[in-house]
Amino acid sequence: MLTKVYSVTNFGLNATDVEVEVNVADKGFPGFGIVGLASKAVEETKERVKTAIINSDIEFPNSKITVNLAPADLPKDGACYDLPIAIGIITATSDVKLPQEKSFFFGELSLDGSLRHTKGVFLLAVLAKETGVKNVFVPRLCANEASVIEDINVYPVDSLKSLIRHLKKEKEIEPLNTVNTDDVLSDIKADFDFSEILGQEQAKRALEIAAAGGHNVFMMGPPGSGKTMLSRAMTGILPNLTERESLEVTKIFSITGNIPAGGSIIRNRPFRSPHHTTSQVGLIGGGSNPRPGEVSLAHRGALFLDEFPEFSRNTLEALKQPLEDGYVSISRAAGSVTFPAQFILIAAANPCPCGFLGDLKKECKCNAHQIINYKKKLSGPIMDRIDIHLNVPAVGVDKLMINKSTDLLAEKSSEIKIRVARARSIQTKRFKDISNVHCNADMKNKHLKEFSKLSDSANLLLKQAVNKFGLSARTYFRLIKVSRTIADLAESEEITETHVAEALQYRIRNNDY
Amino acid sequence: MIKSWRTWPIQKLESSDFPEQLKIIKNCPKSLYYRGNYNKNIFDNSISIVGSRNITRYGKEIVSKMVPDLLLNKLCIISGFMYGVDCEVHNKCVENNGITVAVLGGGLDYLSPIENDSLYTEILNNNGLVVSEYEPDFKPTLWSFPQRNRIVSGLSTVGVLVVEAGIKSGSLITARVGDEQKKKIFAVPGPINSKTSEGTNYLIKNNLAKLVTCVEDILERPVLNYKQENIFINNLSGLELEIFNLLHQDSLTIDELSLTLNLSVNEISSTISLMSLKGITEEELGKIYLIN
Repeated sequence: MLTKVYSVTNFGLNATDVEVEVNVADKGFPGFGIVGLASKAVEETKERVKTAIINSDIEFPNSKITVNLAPADLPKDGACYDLPIAIGIITATSDVKLPQEKSFFFGELSLDGSLRHTKGVFLLAVLAKETGVKNVFVPRLCANEASVIEDINVYPVDSLKSLIRHLKKEKEIEPLNTVNTDDVLSDIKADFDFSEILGQEQAKRALEIAAAGGHNVFMMGPPGSGKTMLSRAMTGILPNLTERESLEVTKIFSITGNIPAGGSIIRNRPFRSPHHTTSQVGLIGGGSNPRPGEVSLAHRGALFLDEFPEFSRNTLEALKQPLEDGYVSISRAAGSVTFPAQFILIAAANPCPCGFLGDLKKECKCNAHQIINYKKKLSGPIMDRIDIHLNVPAVGVDKLMINKSTDLLAEKSSEIKIRVARARSIQTKRFKDISNVHCNADMKNKHLKEFSKLSDSANLLLKQAVNKFGLSARTYFRLIKVSRTIADLAESEEITETHVAEALQYRIRNNDY
Repeated sequence: MIKSWRTWPIQKLESSDFPEQLKIIKNCPKSLYYRGNYNKNIFDNSISIVGSRNITRYGKEIVSKMVPDLLLNKLCIISGFMYGVDCEVHNKCVENNGITVAVLGGGLDYLSPIENDSLYTEILNNNGLVVSEYEPDFKPTLWSFPQRNRIVSGLSTVGVLVVEAGIKSGSLITARVGDEQKKKIFAVPGPINSKTSEGTNYLIKNNLAKLVTCVEDILERPVLNYKQENIFINNLSGLELEIFNLLHQDSLTIDELSLTLNLSVNEISSTISLMSLKGITEEELGKIYLIN
């Protein structure tokens, strides 16, 4: 008996449908074989399917079983074929019938016949909608990922047994209700608030500018000055994800299995903070079946690289392309894929290897050569791609708490967020006709002329600064971009002297590196 | 195109041609290699400046205060071409087009530290000298640095000025050697809680060095000074003046300024930018300093 069940395979961020052909032959020695470029995980399906079927009180046929995963030249990876293969065997040998309309089956089986959390359900649902597939049968634990997609029936499956009962129409599974994305996206809370951070008002202001204009930030300061806390709070002032952005992020999170069991679409802007031992592939993405790396997981959010100079040189150099282009292209033998990677880079470093250079209370234990080598790693093209450079000195708590109660001064993230959102909406309006430019940081030099009108005094100030500080052309343009964002925050059409003067505080300084 | 130091010929100086003050020191080298235009007269009025490799902001301020005045009074400044104070001294000399002499701890062809490549050239182009007692390809070792210190101090007529020094440092060796050579030792006092001022404070406390705070203390005569130019005070806006007065007492961060003046960070930031454009302030590691 031959049956055909439909499932999907993922390559990069694209899903393709796969025909799972199961043939249970009457003749020949009993056996179980899978063909169609199956990986090790798929090979092991045999044992899981066999045991799960038997443990679901269904007889496993004592005959020659051949499974073909078509198209045969596309590599298949993952345990998601457990369910379609099991269903194929059962329908081939019993009176259980597949639904009339084309349906996707997807999910990993446990030995007791229940279904486990499986990655990639969101992409499956997107494909189902695009190709007009009516029903998808996915594990209940990850069924919510598919619930935002309209016009398809998502059946959350608990176990093989319950699915069989459904197919036999003994006890039907209720399909999930479609969830409205706007409702989901409206209520979000950040896990850190700016008002919890004592002092560091300048750093907060710099991060506000970064959030408003999408600028990358570099922070330098001794240990314990609050670099990490500031960065974590950053997601709280970024504007809410729009529906389109959320779906983009959900795709990436789904394919990497980063959506927790029961989770639906991603609502918060991602905040990723990979450790400095992360490999180049881990950060950028890659592998023989290419997977997104941390830069893509931080898409539409923030990528925080603490101890920036401790990352290996290669890893840092590989950041250049995503920083410049906003995506990563990975080519492997199996094919080439493109992952989006539009993120705000927040890099943090100590002023020297021991961290206490310039600290008054603790002595720096590094020798001059160590410090020079440490700073050498920071120099070059990467630092050039960062708009906002910032020193974060240690907070002298005593100094900050004598005169005034800090509670009064500290501003809540929600208040800052309103300003940021306003600045962003100005930018959205400004760049509506230009593709690939979403915020001020994305502007190319040709756009600067058009959108960054400088007042005469601002122009003069810039000229003075270029001469006095010996600024490079690149720094000059970065300066204008940051000034543009500061002006947007002040809701001013023209960039004035004050805006440029403030932006000058965040310029790259030669003596720092 | 500036001529690189490598194109300058290495010449050899026999001990008979040494400046008089060098001839009489203990263990006087038999000969010296040098690059540059040798002229015995430049050593007639010379001072050695030594100090810690880990220079702090304080040390930099001392150097930028003392060196231009010393040069103005026609002194030639000798130092050891190492990181920190040495480099800062040479750099300041070059900046002010003064004559400076670098005594290397290795051979003249062995660039150490490698970061000083352009400094080497600039010293020569400003009529300075780079000298060494070792063969040109000699690699500097742990012992060669203290050994060359006797030349650093021996070449000076005025004495040895210690700027910033730890308690166990080469600068204190130079001071001791200088003392044995009957040179005058000067030391600039530092904050008592600073590790890099322990050595200088120790010298002063034990009467091993004379406490100096300005060039007049060293030369013990009225000297020419760069006038503190006060023109900018008149051009300061109200807020700038307030900030100026605060910074006069202590260097502060932008946060501290905004708290004290009860103004927003962005106002302070842009004012500070304007002040640094006027050459009044300078920022280092998040702190704002007044430029002296």
